[in-house]
Amino acid sequence: MAAQPSSAGVAGAIALPLGDQPAAPAGRLRRTLKITVPAALLLLIFALCFLGPLIFAVPSPTFTNILDANEGLFSPHHLFGTDQVGYDILSRILYGGRASLEIALAVNGIGMVAGGFFGMVAGYIGGWRDAVMMRFIDVLIAFPGIVLAIAIAERLGPSEFHVILALTVFSVPAFARLSRAATLRVREETFIVAARLSGTRTNRVLLRHVLPNILPQLITFNLLGMGIVVVLEGALSFLNLGIPSPLPSWGNMIASGQTVLTAEPRLVILPSIALFLTVLSLNLLGDGLREHWSSR
Amino acid sequence: MVKVGVGGGTGRTRRSGARRTSRLIVAAACAAIAAYGVSWVATSSASTAKVAAGAGSGGSLTVLLNTGFEGAWPSGLDPSTDTNGLANQDMMTSIFGDLFQLGPKGKIIPDLATGYKFVDGGKVIDMTIRNGVKFSNGDRFTAAMVAKNITRDLASPCTCSPTSAWTTLAKTNPVTVSGNVVAVHFTAPYGAFISSIISSDANWIADLNALQTMGASAFQNAPVGAGPFTVVSDTPSQEIVLKRNPGYWQSGYPLLQNLTFKTVANDEAAYEAMQAGQGQVYIDASSPQIEAEAAKTYKVVEEKSTSPYDIQFNTSIAPFNNIEARQAIYYATNAKQIDDKLFNNLFPLTESFTAPGGLFYEPKVPGYIGYNLAKAKALVKKLGGLTVNFFTIAIPTAEEATDAMAAQWQAAGIKVTTANYPLAPLISQFTGGKWQVALQTAGAWDPAQGVGVGFRFDSHSPFSGVHSTQLDTILENAAGSTNLATRKKDYAAAAALIAKEAWGPFLFSYAPDQIFAKNVTGPGLSIPLPAVAVSATVLWQDVTATK
Amino acid sequence: MSASAPASFDLREGGEARPRHLGHRLAHSSLLRVLGRRLLAAIPVMWGVTFLTFLVMNLVPGNVARSLLGATATPAQVNAYQAKLGLNHSFFVLYGNWLGNLLQGNFGNSYSSHAPVTSTIAAQLPVSFELIAYAFIISLVISVPLALLAARRPNGIIDRLSMTFSMAGVSVANYVLAVVLVWVFADVVSAFPAIGFVSIGTNFGENLRSLTLPAIAVGLPLAGFYTRLLRADLLEQLQREDYVVTARAKGIGPWRVIVRHALRNSLFGLITVIALNFGTLLGAAVIIEQIFSLPGLGNGLIQAISNHDTPVIEATVLIFALMTVGGNLLADILYAVLDPRIRYGSTTE
Repeated sequence: MAAQPSSAGVAGAIALPLGDQPAAPAGRLRRTLKITVPAALLLLIFALCFLGPLIFAVPSPTFTNILDANEGLFSPHHLFGTDQVGYDILSRILYGGRASLEIALAVNGIGMVAGGFFGMVAGYIGGWRDAVMMRFIDVLIAFPGIVLAIAIAERLGPSEFHVILALTVFSVPAFARLSRAATLRVREETFIVAARLSGTRTNRVLLRHVLPNILPQLITFNLLGMGIVVVLEGALSFLNLGIPSPLPSWGNMIASGQTVLTAEPRLVILPSIALFLTVLSLNLLGDGLREHWSSR
Repeated sequence: MVKVGVGGGTGRTRRSGARRTSRLIVAAACAAIAAYGVSWVATSSASTAKVAAGAGSGGSLTVLLNTGFEGAWPSGLDPSTDTNGLANQDMMTSIFGDLFQLGPKGKIIPDLATGYKFVDGGKVIDMTIRNGVKFSNGDRFTAAMVAKNITRDLASPCTCSPTSAWTTLAKTNPVTVSGNVVAVHFTAPYGAFISSIISSDANWIADLNALQTMGASAFQNAPVGAGPFTVVSDTPSQEIVLKRNPGYWQSGYPLLQNLTFKTVANDEAAYEAMQAGQGQVYIDASSPQIEAEAAKTYKVVEEKSTSPYDIQFNTSIAPFNNIEARQAIYYATNAKQIDDKLFNNLFPLTESFTAPGGLFYEPKVPGYIGYNLAKAKALVKKLGGLTVNFFTIAIPTAEEATDAMAAQWQAAGIKVTTANYPLAPLISQFTGGKWQVALQTAGAWDPAQGVGVGFRFDSHSPFSGVHSTQLDTILENAAGSTNLATRKKDYAAAAALIAKEAWGPFLFSYAPDQIFAKNVTGPGLSIPLPAVAVSATVLWQDVTATK
Repeated sequence: MSASAPASFDLREGGEARPRHLGHRLAHSSLLRVLGRRLLAAIPVMWGVTFLTFLVMNLVPGNVARSLLGATATPAQVNAYQAKLGLNHSFFVLYGNWLGNLLQGNFGNSYSSHAPVTSTIAAQLPVSFELIAYAFIISLVISVPLALLAARRPNGIIDRLSMTFSMAGVSVANYVLAVVLVWVFADVVSAFPAIGFVSIGTNFGENLRSLTLPAIAVGLPLAGFYTRLLRADLLEQLQREDYVVTARAKGIGPWRVIVRHALRNSLFGLITVIALNFGTLLGAAVIIEQIFSLPGLGNGLIQAISNHDTPVIEATVLIFALMTVGGNLLADILYAVLDPRIRYGSTTE
């Protein structure tokens, strides 16, 4: 086992080096299923969150009539019931998923572009500049992001955009390191050395030759990383730094439901299931893709 | 601003919000209603389950405190410097006792003082100090020590000191001693003096000689007072372990042998901890769901409320510089519906800043306009529409009430955006001056207290939305008079003026609940006490847990 | 990272490039020299972390006086209190003073409690460390046997089940796990305390009981992760490594091969991963300590931040950073020292 730096969780999955999984004796079909099943589940979750409210008439997640408060599961107008203020739980799960997924996409999008670029350049140019650039990344990684998250929430006020800002502190350095390592690996490949020696401009080498080769790893990590972001968003909500109510997110639903857990367990359990299924399908898909790419 | 974080200030706070909330609650809890005194013991011992079988016979208790309310004491427990002291009233009273205490039905009870009188038309207040009392380390408790403490409090920048309330304090020698009498001198009559004492750190007398020997840092973690309990160990904002003070002045008390305070994140965590056998009492619960659940196993008793919810307008800028916009909100707000659905109809509706547990209670105010959807719609139409930004403190109870109200306003055709702010951004809303309308609480046991009515309605308060010299004058007179009947009349006039100008709709008066094991009895638990601001203090020396 | 547990972006470098590369380097240069160089490189990182923290805290609105005095304090009162604390200075002066003191080994006093920061931290450190150690133990007790059973028959029923478990483990948010654990084991069954901490010195049994639910909440996702890691590595060992083939050829039973040979080697790798997880787990502890009211570093950090108590924040952040950077370093050393392939200088490439 390569001493893969990794973490205690979702991210850990990627810590398995690409070639590490023994080639699956199982056939192509199984490998395809390993990608299509989680991909389909993920697609379904996205569709439900982003298109669902347009297709079925769900009540507004942020408008309530207090007279509808505390409806149980499967009540006539509220499939998952309502909470103590009268909000429709199904609607909040769908719209909350929207927020959680938007945040995940944005945080990893920014991380992949900014961090990926940073790491690729550092790895490619090497030398002292690489060392300086990576010390900067080291600082960001060693710095507990929670401090920044609180600063952002208090300085700028809690909002979806500020949650995204706070979480990029986690994603940018992670992508930078990944991308640098991948770049180091391909830098000495013959076709890149050849391109460099033939006088191709650095920009071009990076974009035409390096990037396409490190992209699969970045994308795989993006999927696994999305699960992490969805979970982190919830953690911020637990510290009251997430998306402010009445806007829903899975994190703030779980965090606020937790304060009445004994009396109303479903307020925690329903969004937790949504969160779990999403992270699970992201992990499975990331896993499947990695296997696919590594066996190519 | 938020005095109590709108009622909910207590229980259902989540962790960190809770922590931030604690500051506002400092204000909220602005008053140590303290342990209950001798005279009350005499009059009501028959009615209580108090067996008085002797000191230490009442067993041991662990009391759970919300981190957002009483359960934060980051700057220690020295009365002069405990910036959160007014929220830490249960601990402070247990360690220091009180000069004066607030008993049932708002009766002022002398404890370490034996009485007070107004001299010179109310400009000087003489407090007589109890003789023969000793601090827990054996040092004598004297009038000179009391004066020294009050002088020290006044010099401290802590908001817990009475400085801000005592605006007319004499410039030279404000605190004097003669024999066992401590006199405080003012330049104008100050009828609300005792209310200000019980809602400030001047009520707690520390042994300053011990402080000298121990050093400030050691003292604030294990302070020496003359209260019923002494400190065994203290982990700031986590846990404080107390044991019976054998030298306590009131013989046969306290009844408990050991008293431990422990912090929990919220009502749910408190209930879980009680279920797991980790605590027998939880102070200031606010979640109706948890209270209902807890009532199956424990006793749940509501404190006497003193602090109503109110909707605060910024009358300096549009849209609420227009009285018709304010009236539209009065008409559109259905307080009864929110009380019913969110709080199981627990709280009495009110039309002013007074509440059943406090002084000068008037549920009805002449000229107050209530819910009337048709009139609300008509006014909104007349105004050509109304768009408002409605905010509150980021605490679940307040957020829920805000959401529910926003929905009611929308039904009247008002366009509402809502926001919930943690404390710091909330303060910037007020200092920025651009805010429009907020859900708050207003009022206290005595409206003249620092975070009483003036906090929201007096021009001098940075957190007021009203700037009226007429109202300022009424409130000033009301605080100054030593005659209760005059004061009551003044506050009624203030309430009528607020109603006439439509400066702020009042909803219902909120009070948290105490949850405790069925074998626990005592004033503040089995016998409800009024909250000085939002929460009442249990009189721990009289509490007992029978087997 | 910090806020949440299982989740973390804490991925140092992807692919297998780095360890091999590094291993190579270590194998061919003096371990001490590399160690020295890495320690030197850690200095600017640690400094950067302290500066960043100071900077970020400076951006948070309000100050220690405002947060201690509360909403009712007037600006004049706030200023007076700041002055009393000696904090009415510019950012650079304050940072310079703090850094100067630190270089003399003085962490300063807490702004709020005025107690020495070192004593505050010394009270919190054992709580967090014990939580993490307990979580590691739980994760290993689950993952090692599970991975062994899974690796013995790849794609067998046990393997499938263990992979399902580990996938679920890495996909569950630790705070959800914590909330559910409290609900079931503290409330419904009343088997464990729901909140609070009993120190080892007071009562060892109660100490373990008070940390059991939090340690499971941290350790279970970790177990899922380690199971995957270990299983994959065991399979690789069994398929590729010569000594395993040799052992097999000698007629040693498959179980014995796995336990005696493959596991021994795989554990080296696992230990380095554990070292790398130190920093991450400290971060995970923040939220778990909140949920269980444990008086550890994470809880202290949140309290300190809400009080704008910069000296305490800085000291805590330094410990977090030290755990991350030190964990990294330790992993490298362990890798060099423990991995026989490197120790004997045999090439790994």
